[in-house]
Amino acid sequence: MKRLMEQNFYELLGIEFDVSSFEISRAYKENYQLYHEDSLVSYSLFSREEREKILARLDEAYATLIDEKKRSGYDQSLIECGILKEGMKSQDGRKTIGLISDSKVSTNNTILAIRNELKAMVSSNPVIQEILTHDALWGKDLKRIRDELGVSLEIIREMTKVRMTFLRAIEEDEYEKAPSRMFLKSYVKVYAQSIGLDGDFVASRYLNKISD
Amino acid sequence: MAQIWPIGGGKGGTGKSFLTGNIGILLARQRFKTLLIDADLGAANLHTIIGLSHPDRSLSDFINKKFSTLEETVLQTPIPNLFLISGASNKLDIANLAYEQKMKMLRAISRLDYDYILLDLSAGTSFNTIDFFTLSDSGIFVCCPEPTSIENFYRLIRSVYIRKIRQILKAHQFRKLAEEAEAGNPNTVINPEYLLNALKEIDLEKGHMIERILQAFQFKLVLNQIRKQDNSKIGILICKIIEKHLGLKIQFMGNVGFDERVHDELCKKEPFVEKYPFSQATIDLKALTKSIVGVTHGQGELPAFTLSDVNTLTG
Repeated sequence: MKRLMEQNFYELLGIEFDVSSFEISRAYKENYQLYHEDSLVSYSLFSREEREKILARLDEAYATLIDEKKRSGYDQSLIECGILKEGMKSQDGRKTIGLISDSKVSTNNTILAIRNELKAMVSSNPVIQEILTHDALWGKDLKRIRDELGVSLEIIREMTKVRMTFLRAIEEDEYEKAPSRMFLKSYVKVYAQSIGLDGDFVASRYLNKISD
Repeated sequence: MAQIWPIGGGKGGTGKSFLTGNIGILLARQRFKTLLIDADLGAANLHTIIGLSHPDRSLSDFINKKFSTLEETVLQTPIPNLFLISGASNKLDIANLAYEQKMKMLRAISRLDYDYILLDLSAGTSFNTIDFFTLSDSGIFVCCPEPTSIENFYRLIRSVYIRKIRQILKAHQFRKLAEEAEAGNPNTVINPEYLLNALKEIDLEKGHMIERILQAFQFKLVLNQIRKQDNSKIGILICKIIEKHLGLKIQFMGNVGFDERVHDELCKKEPFVEKYPFSQATIDLKALTKSIVGVTHGQGELPAFTLSDVNTLTG
């Protein structure tokens, strides 16, 4: 256990120093999947105490790196220890897509790059491909796809600018929350597009089931 | 020289014999001269899986010196190019072999003239099972996506590595070193990486030597009985966490889908891959067979397992 505890936050999450917050949340989710209490992967591998320690450390890493201010402070401390070089420092040329809306940094190019990456993940993921064969798509199906891709709703909000209430409503099939059917359709469409799916295809399958 | 693949797993019922039998059939159908050895001496039933009801000779006849050579215990099977040494025996004591007997057996096995030899091992962490892994430095672990199976798999993995480290230490007469390392940290008994690090602190050179021997291990993991609702990445994640926490490299070989019809075919004593050549399970088994052939023939060898692979896969 000692070795894991000695790792810096980047090593712990298995990410490079210059990654975006999108990748930080994804790495955190992946690691959480390995270590959470009911995880099949690490079943019987750790004592309860060890598991709690690892999870606490992961939480600390996530909370530090996801917060721009805390992250640059942490980077600074790594620079002082000689682990991180000035040029690799996070602010310089980091592909940023902030969790907290900041139009200056989340450029269209970044969103496009993420979308392309997600598209590749969609086409190679059997679970997602299976879901997409269904005649009707439900909110829970979209959520399942989103979970498979490791994308948080906050990121989708960031990319689509659709309000959180509506994004949640889509996943919970609470259609009455959208101002109209037209709005609902376009929300579902941009939601789907933002995670690399075919927007029209998903929107029609989603709305099919509520046509009456 | 024959390629020898021990196939084992921590828990019973994970499908070791099913995989051994069916991969054996697929290899034989590709015209590789293949021998299956049922080393699950206490509970042998590989013969049933390939459709041989009453084997008239078995491995125990060699162990008991009824036959002087191992070749004499080989049985023909209904499938061309496929041969079997059955493990069926009614003797009680045969399940517990002495280390020397296993060495003798493995030496005899390695002299046999086949393309592939698959060894079906018993469940659990008995020395019978562990020693076949440590002696051949390679093998396939079969595991199901269930807590019980995964728990026993981790136990088996640790036992294999600890046993290997002890064997190396003993062979080089530094048992004292191992004892010292264990005494320094009670965790070393369960964690190969702790033990290795402790050894390095005591004697860097010898620690490195053991590390090199351990890195030569070529262990693979197969996840069997994967159902639709299971996470298909779990095998990759298991290998990732083993590398991270036990410091051991195990390569994930693939999933084999769950198929209800396996049960019926076992009851009918008919080989599954022959009866359902286009089922998901058979397609998965064919992929495994292909990677076994790839590994041993050096063509398209499976790339060494790395963390960056995991990241792109789980991405």
